[in-house]
Amino acid sequence: MQLVLFNVTNGLIIGAFYVLMALGLSLILNLSNVINFAHGNFLALGGYLAYTLTPTLGYWGALLVAPLLTALIGLAVERLMIRRVYNRDPVYSLLLTFGFAFVMQDIARYVWGPNGLPLGLPDFLSQPISAELFFVTWYRVFMVFVVIVVVLGLFAFLRYTRVGVRIRAGTLDLETVASLGVNISFLRTFNFALGCFLAGLSGVLAAGQIGLNPNMGDDLLMPSFIAIIVGGVGSLIGTLFGGLLIGMAAALTTVFYPSASEAVIYAIMMLVLLFRPRGFMGEEGMMS
Amino acid sequence: MTAALTAEGLHTYYGKSHILHGVSLEVAEGKITALLGRNGAGKTTTLRSLMGLTPAREGKITIFGEDTTRWPTFRVAAAGVGYVPEGRRIFANLSVEENLMVPLERGGPWTVERIYQLFPRLAERKQNRGRQLSGGEQEMLSIGRALLLNPKLLILDEPSQGLAPLIVREVFRIVQQMKAEGISVLLVEQNARMSLEIADNAYVLDDGIVVYSGPARELAADEARVRALAGASAEEWT
Ligand SMILES: Nc1ncnc2c1ncn2[C@@H]1O[C@H](COP(=O)(O)OP(=O)(O)OP(=O)(O)O)[C@@H](O)[C@H]1O
Ligand SMILES: [Mg+2]
Repeated sequence: MQLVLFNVTNGLIIGAFYVLMALGLSLILNLSNVINFAHGNFLALGGYLAYTLTPTLGYWGALLVAPLLTALIGLAVERLMIRRVYNRDPVYSLLLTFGFAFVMQDIARYVWGPNGLPLGLPDFLSQPISAELFFVTWYRVFMVFVVIVVVLGLFAFLRYTRVGVRIRAGTLDLETVASLGVNISFLRTFNFALGCFLAGLSGVLAAGQIGLNPNMGDDLLMPSFIAIIVGGVGSLIGTLFGGLLIGMAAALTTVFYPSASEAVIYAIMMLVLLFRPRGFMGEEGMMS
Repeated sequence: MTAALTAEGLHTYYGKSHILHGVSLEVAEGKITALLGRNGAGKTTTLRSLMGLTPAREGKITIFGEDTTRWPTFRVAAAGVGYVPEGRRIFANLSVEENLMVPLERGGPWTVERIYQLFPRLAERKQNRGRQLSGGEQEMLSIGRALLLNPKLLILDEPSQGLAPLIVREVFRIVQQMKAEGISVLLVEQNARMSLEIADNAYVLDDGIVVYSGPARELAADEARVRALAGASAEEWT
């Protein structure tokens, strides 16, 4: 029973990471048609920046500032590179970000070294929440809490603010958004930075659990893409749902058939592609 | 008389197909200018060129005295050009209220409250999504959305398309009201008769070439020409 419970909480946490990653990827994909292969490296960047900032700002300061810095770097990357390929076939942006992923990874290796590094946490976060639930630390509870707050905040932003509504409108019809006087160039830059903020934040959170290494984002990238496909391209709610589903499926499979825990998420993706190509909540025709 | 908009010798292409062959036109300030022509004549393409959506490869566009030929679309709009596109292009997943949050906030008399006053039907359907609206409601939303930009020039592409006769009259009445508010209007229509009734000046486009330009009244008097312009569908409404 404890094993099942352990894996359920694990699934929730892994799912929460997939959700944060996938929401950022999804935002960028929906508005700009860019499949950001460097997203996992923005995650690592967030974690490393927190590592560097913790001695001066403390954990809480780093938790806040590292994702913001990641967003700022994302902003520069979009302005200098990504925006140049918007009007071309999506293959260009895919290859561009694919290449940039390796560059970012090597930069991280050069700056912070190839070996794993730990991210220090405040003491109380490392304590288990109770003796029976010794495997559930406060940190796990905290991570899930942060993810919930951020996801709610993101959805509120997209629903109630002008910029958020414009991002959603642009997902449907960017040309018409432009013809209403909205600077879509800024909108896309901001949106890219927002996606990078979410990646950076997942990086800081992940670093507290699994530590840091230059390719820490790689394992999260593919499942995040799958979360988007399963949930349905074009739907952020779908992405949210897809991330949790994939995380849970992987974790629960670990209990019964540990060796299939990775295959299961790919199998889910294949089933969706075969039987419901637009995903659970996707727009009709988004995948075509 | 000054011009709100001047286009000179526009040549526009979709890929390799050459659609506009040197289109020139002028929208006089405070007047309604109708741009007529049969299906596929290049009316929408002309408007897309003016808005920078499909930039002209040759020619010059001046709007309120500024050379906007190479401007991106959002900058043209932000200079005070409201655009009501063909097919209305409502954001289908967004509510009426959210659709009205999208336009740039340029200062001026038009506010969301005033849009709801002008179109009480939209106020009733605030929470409904774009896709749940009728064609007439979508048209009102599309016009309201463009007005929120507080345009000095309003460009409409077939606002009466697919609407019931009663609603068509309402749309034309709104266009006249815009003129009374001091907004210059460029109106593309299939419904030649009704357009010529409210327009001051008119252009007729055929195969990407301007084949008539002059006072709307003069064109309206040329019965044969109007009949040729007004397709069967437009005839039904008059
Ligand atoms: N995206 C496009 N790609 C290629 N050709 C196009 C495109 N859009 C329009 N055309 C062609 O350009 C020509 C002019 O089309 P346009 O839409 O400007 O005509 P229109 O006068 O607005 O017609 P309608 O009254 O049917 O709206 C047509 O021959 C059309 O087939
Ligand atoms: Mg047209």
